[in-house]
Amino acid sequence: MPPSIHPVDLIAALRDKSLTPAIVFLTSRRACDEAMEAFDHAQTVLPPARQEAIAAALERVIAQYPSIAEHPLIPTVQRIGVAAHHAGHLPSWKIAIEELMRQGCLDAVFATTTLAAGVDFPARTVVITQSSIRKARDFMDLTIGEVQQIAGRAGRRGKDYVGFAVVTPSPYIDLGVLTKGFTGNPEAIDSQFTITYPMVLNLLKAHQHNQIQAILAKSFAQFQLNQRAELLERKLDTLHLQMEPFGPRVCTDWITQWHTFDQARRQKSHRHQTVRHEAPEMTARFHFLTPGRVVGLNRGRGVVLRQYRSKGQKSPMVTILRPGGAVTECPAGIVTEIYDRIFDCEEQPGYPWCTAASFDELHYQLTELPTRLPVLPILVSKESEPLPDAIVQSLGDFPCPTCSSRSACQKDYLIASRMRQEQQRHMKSIQALRTSLWHRFQERIDVLQKFGYLTPESQLTADGEWARLIRIDHSLLITELIRAEAFTGADPAVLTGIMASIAHDDDRPGAFPRISSGLSSLLGQVRKLAESLSPYEDPPLLRADIAAVAERWVSDPNLTWIGLCRSTTMAEGDIYRLLARTLEFLSQLHTLKATHPGLADTASKALALIRRGVLEELP
Amino acid sequence: MTTDELAQLLAQQPVAILHRLARGRVQRHFRAGKRRLIDMLIQHSTNNLAGLESDLQALIEERQSRVQTPVPPANPVPPRQTAPHTSRRPTRTHEPESTEPGVTLTAWLEGLGVPTPQPFVPDPWQEEALAGLAETDVVVSVPTGSGKTYVAVEAARRAMSENRTIIYTSPLKALSNTKFTEFSKIFGSDQVGILTGDRQDNAQAPILIMTTEILRNLLYDAASGEIDVRLDTLGLVILDESQYIADPERGVVWEETIIFCPSQAKLLLLSASIGNPQDIADWLTSIRPSPCRLVRHSKRTVPLRAGYLHPNGKLTPLFRTAGIPYGHPGQLHPEAKRLFLQYEEDTLPSGRTRR
Repeated sequence: MPPSIHPVDLIAALRDKSLTPAIVFLTSRRACDEAMEAFDHAQTVLPPARQEAIAAALERVIAQYPSIAEHPLIPTVQRIGVAAHHAGHLPSWKIAIEELMRQGCLDAVFATTTLAAGVDFPARTVVITQSSIRKARDFMDLTIGEVQQIAGRAGRRGKDYVGFAVVTPSPYIDLGVLTKGFTGNPEAIDSQFTITYPMVLNLLKAHQHNQIQAILAKSFAQFQLNQRAELLERKLDTLHLQMEPFGPRVCTDWITQWHTFDQARRQKSHRHQTVRHEAPEMTARFHFLTPGRVVGLNRGRGVVLRQYRSKGQKSPMVTILRPGGAVTECPAGIVTEIYDRIFDCEEQPGYPWCTAASFDELHYQLTELPTRLPVLPILVSKESEPLPDAIVQSLGDFPCPTCSSRSACQKDYLIASRMRQEQQRHMKSIQALRTSLWHRFQERIDVLQKFGYLTPESQLTADGEWARLIRIDHSLLITELIRAEAFTGADPAVLTGIMASIAHDDDRPGAFPRISSGLSSLLGQVRKLAESLSPYEDPPLLRADIAAVAERWVSDPNLTWIGLCRSTTMAEGDIYRLLARTLEFLSQLHTLKATHPGLADTASKALALIRRGVLEELP
Repeated sequence: MTTDELAQLLAQQPVAILHRLARGRVQRHFRAGKRRLIDMLIQHSTNNLAGLESDLQALIEERQSRVQTPVPPANPVPPRQTAPHTSRRPTRTHEPESTEPGVTLTAWLEGLGVPTPQPFVPDPWQEEALAGLAETDVVVSVPTGSGKTYVAVEAARRAMSENRTIIYTSPLKALSNTKFTEFSKIFGSDQVGILTGDRQDNAQAPILIMTTEILRNLLYDAASGEIDVRLDTLGLVILDESQYIADPERGVVWEETIIFCPSQAKLLLLSASIGNPQDIADWLTSIRPSPCRLVRHSKRTVPLRAGYLHPNGKLTPLFRTAGIPYGHPGQLHPEAKRLFLQYEEDTLPSGRTRR
């Protein structure tokens, strides 16, 4: 089976059930174009009457916008009654298709999902082939709101009783996303408030520094943050209620008191543990197991040659000379009796741990020992090592050990302390929610002060006065470029090139015309500056090829639109949008006539040069 | 809470919660492991850790409450949601498989055709919005294609009769151009002007179409003392497609516009269906001189039917019922279900590979 239905079959199926006119949403522009190509060899053509109707309607649009007179898609559209409509087309072509659709001349339009949010023309049916959408270089599932936006195109008011949304699968479809989208409630929307440099400058121009917090508090962002804060406050209230039974006892802040007391106690018990793994008898005996001491073992007796602690052994160890002359290493626990008899023993660092002479002597003495020997009485003190003074002192400070509510405190401490931690966390969060916008604003002020657009008292400097008029993306980069006089002496074409590369934010690859050396060296400077500004503002892409396209259009007044399009692989719609956006950026520079007459003059020349051909004809 | 504490708290949560947090924050989060997911979440919201944290708390809370009450109360309708048929069920609820067969294709296709032209009668919600606008600001949240333009045009007409200036803004230049043509046809071309980033026609006309950015700039200039007569006589500001307030890049412009909008002008926010229009209305009430009126409904003017077209050309209804079973995404038509499963089996033999 094919991974997805062939466009010709799709349209045939829709026509068969009279579900036309339809909008078919496809994943990409390329898919739209390929769908149109698929109709090149299709057998089904429209009856002549309808072909003429399309031709007549197109004629009327062409009269208004001559640039689409030779559009390569026109023959197919006329023959088949199907068209493509996406961002790669010129706005005039899109207007023409919308007009045809409104008049009911077309059976289907292949469109990308971006259309759903943009221009509205309804149809009887929408066909959905995907469940994800390309957003910022990545694919994301459609939200419920987006599915309903797409489905909203189905059903024309006054022309249809019902609208149809038809799902046809393609390899990247998730039916669950779509069914949820059809049947669900749209998502709640969240504020996307960001604080921009022009916003800071304009606010400080019109208001005092101390009034601004009140203005920020009026934003939807703060409204939503407040909602969250209120939620947390309600939680805090319930926590307060829950904490009431654990309220002040003998001491007002018993949780802290108990916490410190508990810490101190833990420290104590911790010390006990290190001692506990040796029996107290053992510890007491150990002092007497010195070299030369006669000890009783399970079988026979022996003389201690040395005692030591080994890392490999749990208990302290002794080396014992046995009656047969054997030297054994055994744990101190093996010693059953300690006799009141010590022989002289000359110690030596190596085996057999005493000099040869004393070894022989000891060996001899051991065999000569009487059968009964007095046993050394060893007192085992139950008293363990005393606590360090500091802790004894601090425990004495606490009322807890003798307090009447001690057992209650001990029982409740875990729950109560957890609740109090939660309380503190909520309070911190509420604080952050209430003040985060203002902090962000303050950060921006700091940056602007650093660059000299604001005085330390947050008044606008002379530079700030004009910089506030630049209200576009990458405003900091542009104003810094102007201050660095990067544009002095630049001709309109170079200025256009730079502005285009700043304005363009799409990274679709492509092949583009050569760039002039003047523009390329200036662009290098711009890149360096953008790099150095990157901690304060995200740098634009600054593509040289984009700059070259815009530069060519301005520098060569004889260049036709077709010529420009042939010099690059960019779609015409993209070129149009690039130039339109560049126009916007340049007209912002044009507003600086009072302070930068030279630059404003160059900008207005560039504006005049851009506005020709297609760009003049279109709204 | 510091970043470290937050990271710890996140690490304690089950991955499902992290994925829910990541929706709309992190792209391709479903591919990331838990630790990477936490990194990405924190990295994404370095500027708004508090927001992330409170969302997390809400999710934890929700989870806890679900654990405590395994059987949710039947149809929990939050008090704000007025539309009864769209009340959302918990997504995991098991849909009882009804045994009755789904609707037939012929029944599904019934009603196809062109209705006879009827005289235009405004819907009740349109009347309500216009009546509300006579007194105060209005937020309209209705499905796509229900006739928001009618409200805009009528409101503009009424404001014009009081010799007031009207500003109509839309997010896209193309939309502005379409509306300019449309309004010129209705009010006459000398009554309508357009201001976009690169176009200025008839800029002193009583009805001005512009992109929202331009209006924001006008308001900034007015705030800093540059007098613009158009703002003095301003009686109505219409913000079309105002769900753009949630646009990551441009949403801030809508907020600025609404904050700085002169208080003598009425605001009319037209938006597609969104989940929390009441929030927007409450917000407007809190910052504007008079309490804002919310007009919402979720019923489409032209009812919708969903179908499934198999690559072999077979068409079936998508759901058991002819209309959309709102709130019940699991009620698929048995035939559509069978065909889709077959499709998945045929095209993805070795498990799902999604981009």
